[in-house]
Amino acid sequence: MRAVGRVRACVLGFGMICTCVAARAQDVVIVVNRNVTLSAISAQQLREVFTGVRSRLGDGTRAVPVVLKGGPAHEVFLRNHVGDNPQEFRARWRKAVFTGEGAMPKEFGSEAALLDYVAVTPGAIGYVSRVQEVVGVRVLTVTP
Amino acid sequence: MPCRVGLCLVCLLACAAEFWAQDLGNMQIHGFVTQGFLYSSNNNYLTMNSSSGSLQWTEGAISLTDPVTDNLRVGVQLHMFQMGQVGGPNVQLDWASGDYQVNDNLGFRAGKVKIPLGLYNESQVVDPLFLWILLPQSIYPTDNRDFDLAVLGGEVYGSIDLGKRGGRLHYSGFAGENRLDANGGYVEQLQGYGLTFPTPPGGKAYGGDMRWGWRGLMVGASAQCQALDGTGPDGSLHLPTDLSLVYFADWKRGRWDVTGEYIRTPFVARLTIESTVVPLQFDQRGWYPMVIYRVTDKLHVGSYYSHYVNKAQDTSLPANYAKDWAISGRYDFNAYFYAKLESHFLHGDGLGYYASVNPNGLKPDSNMLAARVGFVF
Repeated sequence: MRAVGRVRACVLGFGMICTCVAARAQDVVIVVNRNVTLSAISAQQLREVFTGVRSRLGDGTRAVPVVLKGGPAHEVFLRNHVGDNPQEFRARWRKAVFTGEGAMPKEFGSEAALLDYVAVTPGAIGYVSRVQEVVGVRVLTVTP
Repeated sequence: MPCRVGLCLVCLLACAAEFWAQDLGNMQIHGFVTQGFLYSSNNNYLTMNSSSGSLQWTEGAISLTDPVTDNLRVGVQLHMFQMGQVGGPNVQLDWASGDYQVNDNLGFRAGKVKIPLGLYNESQVVDPLFLWILLPQSIYPTDNRDFDLAVLGGEVYGSIDLGKRGGRLHYSGFAGENRLDANGGYVEQLQGYGLTFPTPPGGKAYGGDMRWGWRGLMVGASAQCQALDGTGPDGSLHLPTDLSLVYFADWKRGRWDVTGEYIRTPFVARLTIESTVVPLQFDQRGWYPMVIYRVTDKLHVGSYYSHYVNKAQDTSLPANYAKDWAISGRYDFNAYFYAKLESHFLHGDGLGYYASVNPNGLKPDSNMLAARVGFVF
């Protein structure tokens, strides 16, 4: 009985590790323009930038949030870092647009196009999938 | 006429969408157009021939926003609204402002700016944002909404970060002048007293809003002071500065969104018709609880109970109260097209009814079915 219990515990532990690795693998990389002097951003600040509540990053740079038009990386980013689904996210920004309180984040059809824009736009902040090779921009760590 | 106007709007929006598809730099163009349908068992509602089934509800808007500098953004939104006898084919300026944001704590807007009164006042004309076809009429009367939407003046606004555990405090204050909509419900009601105005009555307005957000919770209060004066060939209207107070709370968690609001507006308006002075005494109170459930990303359902009463008059008379149970569903086909279906169980006729479309009087109860389709980009 004890051996069976050990096997079960091992299987459970292995499963949990796999789940954590998979969840981590599904996350995205936060990227900013190189003029941003930060190396990390808090989860709350990141959420506030992408919900239009915060207009500046921690170093005082004007934040220019940019997003992908859709796809898995977009959905993962919204779910993990904003707390919205794509419809909620769109509705949130449409409210800002139609009441004169803000402008929609610029959207890109591909991660390469998003990276190109972030690389040349001061204050730009976006995300790409973890598998993407990130060059020409600064990567931010998200702190709790 | 509404069909023609709707067609024009669709063409306008299609052109705008085409422009938008092109590279406009940082300038953004957005818009929407909707078509509504109302069918009521008794009475004609909101100046529409709803007892026969009515399609007299077409609405659309187009907005243009341009971030001129890091701190300065300018924008304009045009709005068209035709609902029965109110609104009209004329395109109105919904808002047009320059917005200078010093930082997150302080910003200024000037021009024609939206009034923050309650949770949805600024956005109530923007149908794509809501599950509901009709917002709770006790606080957001559709036929009279144009009057409270915006002022010609300025606004100061900002928010204060209270830390990770403290949430965020948002504030705004505004002052300016506004005027009754020439084609709106109030002017229609005043015509019922025999008063017409070459220029719709207007006056000074000022107020503010404070709201605290923490995770999925938002609580706050708004205040608005408003005076109104107008003179016509048959008489005049005088409204000393009144005060509207709104308290609200909204809680989002998972698939649920629970909201409640309460408004109170006491005032005495004086109509002078030839040499006769007619005082109109009101103590308007409205409130609603509302719940929304997100079944899937595309399908939302919800219900609310809206309650309005004029405490300054005999509240047992249907003319002095309006109660409404609403059940609604919305389906988003994609990011651009959506459809809504809504039922209402109305008691009392204190809101939304006009003698001009109910010449045989009103019944105290009515049920109503509403549908609406929309396109937004």
